[in-house]
Amino acid sequence: MVEREIPEHGFPLHCRFSRIQLIMGIDYDFRWSLLWEDPYGGWLIDALLVTVHLALLSWLFALAIGIVIAVFRVSPVKWLRIIGTSYVEVLRNIPFLVQLFFWYFAVPTLLPRAWMLWWNQLPSANYWTAVVALSIYTSTRVTEQIRSGIHATPNGQYQAGLSIGLSYPQMYRYVILPYAIRVMIPSMTSEFLTIFKNTAFAMVITVPEITFTAKRIENWTFQGIEAYTFASLVYVLTTFSVIAFMGWVERRLHIPGMIKKE
Amino acid sequence: MSMDPPIIQIKNLSFWYGDFKALDNINEEVRKGNCIVICGPSGSGKSSLLRCINGLEKFQQGDVIVDGIGVRNCTDFPKLRSNIGMVFQHFELFPHMNALENITLGPRKVKGKSKKEAEEKGLELLSRVGLSDHSHKHPGNLSGGQQQRVAIARALALEPKVMLFDEPTSALDPEMIGEVLDVMLDLAKEGMTMLVVTHEMGFAREVADEILFIDEGRIIERGTDESFFKHPKNPRTKEFLDKILM
Amino acid sequence: MDWTVIPKNLGFLFEGLIVSFQLAGLTLALALPLGSIIALGRLSSRKWIYYLTSAFVHGLRANPLLLIVFWFYFLVPIIIGRPIGDFTSVLIAFVVFYSAYFAEIVRSGIQSVGRGQIWAGYSIGLTYFQTMRYIILPPALRRMVPLLVTQTIILFQGTTVAFIIGLKEFLHRTSLVSERTLKSFELYIFAAVVYLVICYSGSFLSRRLEVKQ
Repeated sequence: MVEREIPEHGFPLHCRFSRIQLIMGIDYDFRWSLLWEDPYGGWLIDALLVTVHLALLSWLFALAIGIVIAVFRVSPVKWLRIIGTSYVEVLRNIPFLVQLFFWYFAVPTLLPRAWMLWWNQLPSANYWTAVVALSIYTSTRVTEQIRSGIHATPNGQYQAGLSIGLSYPQMYRYVILPYAIRVMIPSMTSEFLTIFKNTAFAMVITVPEITFTAKRIENWTFQGIEAYTFASLVYVLTTFSVIAFMGWVERRLHIPGMIKKE
Repeated sequence: MSMDPPIIQIKNLSFWYGDFKALDNINEEVRKGNCIVICGPSGSGKSSLLRCINGLEKFQQGDVIVDGIGVRNCTDFPKLRSNIGMVFQHFELFPHMNALENITLGPRKVKGKSKKEAEEKGLELLSRVGLSDHSHKHPGNLSGGQQQRVAIARALALEPKVMLFDEPTSALDPEMIGEVLDVMLDLAKEGMTMLVVTHEMGFAREVADEILFIDEGRIIERGTDESFFKHPKNPRTKEFLDKILM
Repeated sequence: MDWTVIPKNLGFLFEGLIVSFQLAGLTLALALPLGSIIALGRLSSRKWIYYLTSAFVHGLRANPLLLIVFWFYFLVPIIIGRPIGDFTSVLIAFVVFYSAYFAEIVRSGIQSVGRGQIWAGYSIGLTYFQTMRYIILPPALRRMVPLLVTQTIILFQGTTVAFIIGLKEFLHRTSLVSERTLKSFELYIFAAVVYLVICYSGSFLSRRLEVKQ
């Protein structure tokens, strides 16, 4: 048992393992109380909010854009289909960081001088750039999932619907969407989790989300293990909660025999 | 009636699949050269019984002894299984190999035969099941009936003492059932010891030495002749037979 | 718009591309075998192996690559006792991270070969290893290849993350030139096109492989 000095603020943490001899005899002093001490605790809470906000907002935009592009891709108008397909093929094959840098560094230089000056002095310019980049990048994947959702209706079902005289809007409501939604749930879940993890990229343009904050704490205090453990826990717990919740949703919506599993 | 010990002895066999008791205290003896037909409703445990006999399913109670080898504590499954041939409902031919390769895989890798020897025997077996011209075709290019006949040849390639058939014709289109049953009839007449799970009662009437009706994991009734079909003793047997016999 | 900035710096940028390829290539060479072993662990009937490998896979996949890079960048020098190069620590992080993804691809490939095939293999007397080698792996590998190619492309795109710890790969060098010359638009378009060409060729290859089956 090692007695630790009581810091000026916060409370002491007596820990049996407060000093550990790792392999090769390197010492590492654990200081888990760090995570709720001032100012680090505050940083972490803010970072959590930023991460969640960024993820949700980008997700909403990604869905909106994704639906529009999906409509383009199934449209009878050839040009719309070409635009839709090019959008997806181009943006899927460029790494996200490249796209992020493009929006952050390159695009402002294209703006008319007055706009560029206004944009550069915005305090959360980096945040909104991250939203734009993340939404557009994710929309390319969302649109593919929407497309496969729409195509999930078995051909026989489609023909049965037409043969009982349903109109196209009715077909969508009664035949296509029930299949589409159930097929899309797993892939959309996975996509949301991907966007949640991708918020970490925003740290390269100094958006204060969780990973950025963890690195910052490490830079300030050298307590990397504590900081990164907190960050990892945020991602891991979010992942498992979302998976558990969507699993429940999937079970509620499940109709036996509807989606044939291989 | 042979006075040798039975080639298969099933003693107090019980098998649980998780919490579900799939087989409940099965006892049976199969003499060499006999053909036993097993029938029953789906989920009754018939397929599980076959898979317990060649150790594909690990049962928890009782034992099965095949040609002197106990299955429960078997240490050499390849040896046990090379004495037992199995034919599956969905054929299970290896799709990346052609018919001849499917048949020769066992003899080459398990019994150590040379490629030439195995192929000679393989072609013989193929002609026995009526498919000499199809030796280089892949399963994807064969009809269901042809695939199943290749599967029978594959099982016979190891010169087994016992053949197990798990609903061999259930996945076939009606016009192909006959060609497979013909091969099985020939086998039975040649004296192969066979256990067949099937609903083909015509086949049973013609070659079965014994018929077992299994329901909910238990042998409900045994019959050895026509009286099984005409006057089944157990009401459940009667109910089942009424449904499948026209 | 001054596009001459690209030919003027082509050599410098190209060197970065080589680093990106090296990182991707080495990661692939190490993570795929590691992932395959983990996949077998995920299919094991021994509980402790199953739980350990599952925890590994689920835990890693739940974290962003960037955070894993930070973890290793921080921990490896502490554990080994001395600082190690950027490339090595990033490589270790990448290998561990992507092995979890490769493990899932290999596992699903093996599982896609149905139980009936395994039974058929056993029923003709093959051992576990023989069944694996002759019955399960040939079709499984064929099914896995398109997914493995896709994952490799993702891996290649992931090399941009190494930027954050200062590895001078292609994106990093692009940003350096952009800072120096202020021609950010031309340079990032160029970088985008380069990645686009490489990744698109890769996914084209993957689709061709899928059709070939």
